[in-house]
Amino acid sequence: MLIKLAGGEVIDPVNGKTRTRDIWIRDGLLINAPQGETADQTHDVSQCIVMAGAIDIHSHIGGGNVNTARLLLPEHHAAHQRRPAATPLSNAGWSTFRTGCLYAQMGFTTVVEPAMAPSSALHTHLELADIPIIDKATLAILGNDDFSLSLLRDNTSSAMLDDYVAWIVGSSRALGVKVINAGAAAAFKENVRSFSLDDEVPEYGVTSRKIVKSLQASVTRLGIPHPLHVHANNLGIAGSADTAAATIEASEGVPLHLAHLQFYSYGTEGKRKFSSEASRLAAAVNGNRDVTIDIGQVMFGQTVTISSDVMRQFSAIGNASPKKFVIFDGDGNGGGGIVPYRYKQDYYGSLQWAIGLELFLLINDPWRVFFTTDHPNGAPFTAYPELFELLMSSAARDEQSAKLNASALELTTLASIRREYTFDEIAIMTRAAPAKLLGLKDRGHLGAGAIADIAVYRKGRDVAKMFREAALVFKNGDLVVKNGKVTNYRWGKTLRLNPPADKAIVKRMKAYHEERYGLPLDWFTFPDSSIQRDEPFGEVPCNS
Amino acid sequence: MSVAWIGSQPVSLMDAVRKASGLLKASRCPVFTIDADVHGTRSAIALAERVGAPYDHPLGQTLSREVALFTDHGGMFTTAGEARNRSDVIVLVGDIPPHHGGLLLDWASTQPRSDKLKKRSWFHIRGSEYSGAPKLAVRAVRVGGDDLSLGNVLAVVRATLQGRQTLSSLTNIDRLLKSLSAARFPVFVFSGASGQMPDLIMLQEMVADLNKKGRAGSVFLPADEAAWGMALTSLWMTGFPPRTGFTDSLPSYDPVRWDIQRMIRDKEPDLHVWMSTRGGQPPSKGTRLCLIALERTAVPVQGTAVTIAVGQAGLDHDGVCYSSKTGTFRAVQAAEPSQLPSLSSVVRQLAVALPGRKALVC
Repeated sequence: MLIKLAGGEVIDPVNGKTRTRDIWIRDGLLINAPQGETADQTHDVSQCIVMAGAIDIHSHIGGGNVNTARLLLPEHHAAHQRRPAATPLSNAGWSTFRTGCLYAQMGFTTVVEPAMAPSSALHTHLELADIPIIDKATLAILGNDDFSLSLLRDNTSSAMLDDYVAWIVGSSRALGVKVINAGAAAAFKENVRSFSLDDEVPEYGVTSRKIVKSLQASVTRLGIPHPLHVHANNLGIAGSADTAAATIEASEGVPLHLAHLQFYSYGTEGKRKFSSEASRLAAAVNGNRDVTIDIGQVMFGQTVTISSDVMRQFSAIGNASPKKFVIFDGDGNGGGGIVPYRYKQDYYGSLQWAIGLELFLLINDPWRVFFTTDHPNGAPFTAYPELFELLMSSAARDEQSAKLNASALELTTLASIRREYTFDEIAIMTRAAPAKLLGLKDRGHLGAGAIADIAVYRKGRDVAKMFREAALVFKNGDLVVKNGKVTNYRWGKTLRLNPPADKAIVKRMKAYHEERYGLPLDWFTFPDSSIQRDEPFGEVPCNS
Repeated sequence: MSVAWIGSQPVSLMDAVRKASGLLKASRCPVFTIDADVHGTRSAIALAERVGAPYDHPLGQTLSREVALFTDHGGMFTTAGEARNRSDVIVLVGDIPPHHGGLLLDWASTQPRSDKLKKRSWFHIRGSEYSGAPKLAVRAVRVGGDDLSLGNVLAVVRATLQGRQTLSSLTNIDRLLKSLSAARFPVFVFSGASGQMPDLIMLQEMVADLNKKGRAGSVFLPADEAAWGMALTSLWMTGFPPRTGFTDSLPSYDPVRWDIQRMIRDKEPDLHVWMSTRGGQPPSKGTRLCLIALERTAVPVQGTAVTIAVGQAGLDHDGVCYSSKTGTFRAVQAAEPSQLPSLSSVVRQLAVALPGRKALVC
């Protein structure tokens, strides 16, 4: 099948400046314009903007904690309900099926679930496999489990840690490694209530810094393309900017990704001792080329916070709205907390909203700042269109700011920032840069050889509307969305690394699981066939 | 060996599928009862959505109580693994289903890992409604009062922990309080069979109290593991736990309206699709309701219009099941591989035989 998208304004920063040109697709891949051939299918996109399919690097879309949130909050699903499209189960509330459809309708074609507990990897992959249309990936959580903490306590060789990390990544079918408040979940089990970068985990005598640095080094040695994905200490606390700054500084020349920086950009100024440190942290990021960050933008309204940072979530239960929560002390890296929350346009909500935008606008390099709301923690991903508008229009920001708490905004620099993101910058931040960050060379651009993941948006003054309802979306060359509606149900893959497992570590894992849980290792691992989809996984190579 | 029957007559699988799909097509109000592994459940829910049928589990009454603890309250939980490795006090609450006996024995045969933790002690909080049968798999110090219900016993324990005076006294309350005050990680173990909703909420409030200054957790052992696995699968597929219906086009969760047993008693449906890979008794048996049974059986289910024999995951074929031992799903292999078709394969055939001939999404 030869498909031509004719006459669109193609925004593809990887392959040159924006210009009007045709896009050609053959058998799911992008090709150069063929000589002397006629397209089997032509779409006139002359009044449209054409970009690669968008990639979300940090969105909690599946797994045990997400499912517990569904269980806790059946009433919350109304926020995601729309009248059904003619697709199976696509009308099903906050389900995996609806997730895939809603993302596709906005032109997103790859989404990363950033927090998979290795011990419940099968559950996560069962959910990801039931998210239609888009490709998925997930990051394995490490840094709070007895095995890795024991290795670090005992100063075991770095080769042993590498073998363990490789086994975790391979057996859990992850695309990378995430550390969440390193050591804090283990410390919380010992009744520790606050935990910073240089605090030690009781019983192990290992600092959070040592955990982060060791995993960062291991990820780099193993050639895992995505740098260690760090959820730092002290999330959400006034003064957490100091922790974030220290974590950025601790990168020390090795790549590191700092997740949802907005939630760490809090100072202690003002009457309420809660202020913006976004300028300071933006400067720190601008000055350190090894560090990438995503934002975790707050948007107003009801949401639910979902995190494996069980210490932080426990501290937030007093603010639960509605008044219910689940706190879960899990095995190793498998715990977490589900705390519903409503972001109000009060002092705190206004400040958080402004801080996120400050970070977006003060970090200069769109290759190192990533577009997230930390779905659903800052806001559901369905708020993305409105966020695009805020980034691309200072007038839209002014209009929204006028409705918010003035004393909070006075403590920020937002009003003075007139920067507006261009389509080129949006394409970098949501397409090219995520592909590069994750090591996905086959997507994020519109050059020949890339998979045909394409989003076509009808030009218009209403940026939010444009990004909410893509005119056309192609996934692997299949037309899946037309005029903002899903038209073709297909199944994407879950992208994973597959580093070879060392035989000795497998033997050791068998003994460890028998001894610690009284269960054979195969209770914690699974064959691909247990997913029951054709080719559920797509393999991404490690760096050589 | 036949695997399909129309009435009591053996027929080919295809004929049975055709007959069943005809009944589904003609039905104005079909209802589903689903008892299967993850993949059987996925297919069954996808078919329920296709034909607009509400669904429930055969043990829906107990399951809905367990679900309600989360939808109405939440709580503080931990895993069986954490209880095994870290708990120094284990408090069993009410009835613990006997199939968890092996897990309790495993905990009883181990000790908390930390050098700082002493030998594990066991208690059993129970009320006057405690059945006492079958006998607990482990020895535990009984805490209770002669005429007090479980909810009242829990209330007295909680009040006493807070230093409040109570009118009732409990057997062994002092031993329990002493152990809890010295404990580093006490764990309360319960199931949906342990008590009523207010009892379970009282228990969670007590665990929350203990976490204000120290650490404590609760291990939820589902009354039926397959039922809990079905609930988790339903959550990601529709956004809702079981007792969900599709008849308003959008899925709706309503534990009263979509109580299939109640619906059958009230004669609301005109077709009941009973899907059980473990066998069992369809609630519509003995009624005049038209019944399709997809069940692990060697003979036609009495009173059904159509019976199709299906295999059980972990026995006849590979599958994915929930386990309390890990608190999550695990892949299970066929222990005695058989020719019985899986529930999901039969359900997919049913879907394709319906008008439109569209394949299911699962």
